[in-house]
Amino acid sequence: MKNIKAVVNLSKSIFAVALVLIGFNSSAVEEGEVLPEFTLPSIYEGKAEISSASLEGKTVYLDFWASWCAPCILSLPMYNEMYHKYKDQGLEVVAINLDNPIEDGLDFLLDTPLDFLIPSDPEGGSAELFEVIGMPTSYLIAPNGEVKLVHMGFRDGDMETIEAEVQKTLAEN
Amino acid sequence: MMLNIKVILFVAFSMLILNACSQVRPWERGYLSKKEMSWDSDILESALNDHIFFSKEASSGGNNAAGGGCGCN
Repeated sequence: MKNIKAVVNLSKSIFAVALVLIGFNSSAVEEGEVLPEFTLPSIYEGKAEISSASLEGKTVYLDFWASWCAPCILSLPMYNEMYHKYKDQGLEVVAINLDNPIEDGLDFLLDTPLDFLIPSDPEGGSAELFEVIGMPTSYLIAPNGEVKLVHMGFRDGDMETIEAEVQKTLAEN
Repeated sequence: MMLNIKVILFVAFSMLILNACSQVRPWERGYLSKKEMSWDSDILESALNDHIFFSKEASSGGNNAAGGGCGCN
């Protein structure tokens, strides 16, 4: 009887610790927060690395994607169009590729050339940093580093919402 | 005393097993999203089976987990 009580008490303690750990874990980057610092190499060999510092002072649309993620593949050509439409107004698009192996991402880019910055992070350290909870997740960042929009997933019609926010942020700065 | 050791062993063994339980993060689902990893390899065949099941049992669904492996739906 005593032993059963001991096991129950131990289980309760483990459960409590687990709850605390879950609490510590939920630190996803949200709207109103500042862009976390990161430095990543470009997916293309020989191109300059991309860091949060190099994006300072720009309106940035940052996206996490992988070639196996169907909605990501749907969204990227649209982001490319958006980039061309607003780059003269100061928009920078950064799409962090999380493919492991990197070759999967490069294969996709051979078929679908994209003109914006594509850092590569096969280990997913940056996704861990942002606490990405779904693929794709994207962030609109104002020139002062503030996260203006967090957008998870990608469905038909989402582009209108994203573009409206981009226009608003570009107009404010 | 013997029972105590058994309890300790049980807890230690459980913790050892629990150690293997880890969360697959959204960006680590590349392998899971492959075609060969899907429960039903033939979409048409599974749709037909669903239809037969529905006509016989008057119920359907409950045979798929939510999400396609990309963590977005």
